[in-house]
Amino acid sequence: MDKFLFGQFQGLLKREVLEHRNLFIWAPVILGLLIFMIDFLVISSLDEDAKISFIENLARFFAGGSPLEMAPAFVFPTLPFLGILYICAILYLTNTLYQDRRELSVLFWQSMPVSNFQTVLSKLVAIMLIAPIFYVAVIFALYVIGILWLIISGLSYDIDVAGLGYMFLTATLSLPIVYLFTVTSALWLLPFIGWLLLFSAFANRTPLLWAIGALALILFLEGFIFRTQFISNWIETRSDIDNFLIVDYGGVFDRLFSYDMLIGLVVGSIFICGSVYMRRFVD
Amino acid sequence: MNNIVEAKGLVKSYGSFRALDGVDLSIPTGAITGLIGPNGAGKTTTLKALIGLCDVEGELNVAGRDPRESRHKLMEDVCFIADVGILPKWLKVSQVIDYVEAVHPKFHRTRAEKFLSTTEIPANKRIKELSKGMVTQLHLALVMAIDVKLLVLDEPTIGLDIIYRKEFYDRLLNEYYDDNCTIIISTHQVEEVETLLSQLLFICKGKIVLDTLMNDLPNTFTEVIVEPQNIEKANHLNPIHIRELLGKKCYTFESVARTELEQLGECLTPTVADLFVAKMKETRHG
Repeated sequence: MDKFLFGQFQGLLKREVLEHRNLFIWAPVILGLLIFMIDFLVISSLDEDAKISFIENLARFFAGGSPLEMAPAFVFPTLPFLGILYICAILYLTNTLYQDRRELSVLFWQSMPVSNFQTVLSKLVAIMLIAPIFYVAVIFALYVIGILWLIISGLSYDIDVAGLGYMFLTATLSLPIVYLFTVTSALWLLPFIGWLLLFSAFANRTPLLWAIGALALILFLEGFIFRTQFISNWIETRSDIDNFLIVDYGGVFDRLFSYDMLIGLVVGSIFICGSVYMRRFVD
Repeated sequence: MNNIVEAKGLVKSYGSFRALDGVDLSIPTGAITGLIGPNGAGKTTTLKALIGLCDVEGELNVAGRDPRESRHKLMEDVCFIADVGILPKWLKVSQVIDYVEAVHPKFHRTRAEKFLSTTEIPANKRIKELSKGMVTQLHLALVMAIDVKLLVLDEPTIGLDIIYRKEFYDRLLNEYYDDNCTIIISTHQVEEVETLLSQLLFICKGKIVLDTLMNDLPNTFTEVIVEPQNIEKANHLNPIHIRELLGKKCYTFESVARTELEQLGECLTPTVADLFVAKMKETRHG
């Protein structure tokens, strides 16, 4: 890749992070603090015996186990973060192209030698690849602080904390799975991502309402004219949590190279091309 | 001289409203062109069309490219300042410089920083915390740090006080403009740019109603304070505008020999503002 183009793309990504720092950085940080405070208050409220027993049980559970095998189990505690990430992604996708037009800064962005394709691509990369990095980093920080606190508490009670070291290793090894899962699920959900971007580029107000309204209209027309429910069934299957919640490496790669994934990528790409086209003219 | 802008028959409609109704333009390289017209005349639409920000019909070539096909490539050679504060309000001054440095191959950071060091703009402030004058100064600093062939300014000093307005044009001319650069300015404040311009374009109801070089203005347009006894003769020479001036009739003529007009009364060269009023009234009233 041309060195300047690479630097240019980095500049675009930096812009996305700066503009949406509340969704990318502050949302997971606040959630992380909230979870830490709840855990801290719950554990602190235990009496000494219960606290010792809790730390001992944890250390014993992880001691000598295989961190790699146990790692997938650590994906489940991260679900609150993934939930917030999805909510933030919906807010981001519906506003990212719309907001520029609303505050007229689109004239500034468009006055730079950056193509609409580069702009939309940077937004996709930002939400699909960059945002999960921040979330995973916050989860990692939470693990470090939490387990460190358990180790210090354990040492003060003369507990053998070696198992907590395994726990930390297990937790750390789960993070690549969490990241891969978010990226794979983003690819799986690309038709929805493209749909939201399309209305972010098109709507003059309330893009989320437009996106939902247009979809509802299509579903109604399909039922009314063709007497079928093909689209609603397709959406239901694709958005079913059991169909995209994968917690092991094998599942991730199976999903990545599946026929269903390919269809979703094609549909999503069509919507994304539509959003690039809509972005062409700002009036 | 080569033309940096060539447009023929530009048409743009918003529903039943024709914002551009067959605009023809030729702007020579190195010109400072004033695009002047009343509200809703089509100035902003014309400028947006030149930089590929609105879809128009017709032939269009700017700096050797069709803006509709390759806006992002064109913007390597063209800069644009709009009539509204379009810099993203959530960015800090230093961040907007970082951004332009990252995405623009012809941006010189040191030049922008040197310009900003002569202002009171703090690098760590967000744009929303700056005054309107400071935002315009910042945008000018960014633009002046880019080597471009064409600078498009859409009412750049609107809403600024006289000090900022004067400084804006002074710096633009003294520190930025050279013969390789072309500037198009759309403005209402005709008097402020009159002395800068080398080409004058009047636009009204989506049509160019005047396209002239400033040097040709005295040869083409003449104002005559007509003596009362010559009123009838003056009316026969098809004046484009008649106004009252200190109890006398002041006629504006287009392409009438000065020697002929000198017999009617005192001859003057109209100011751009007077000419603007004359041409707009002529266009509006047929």
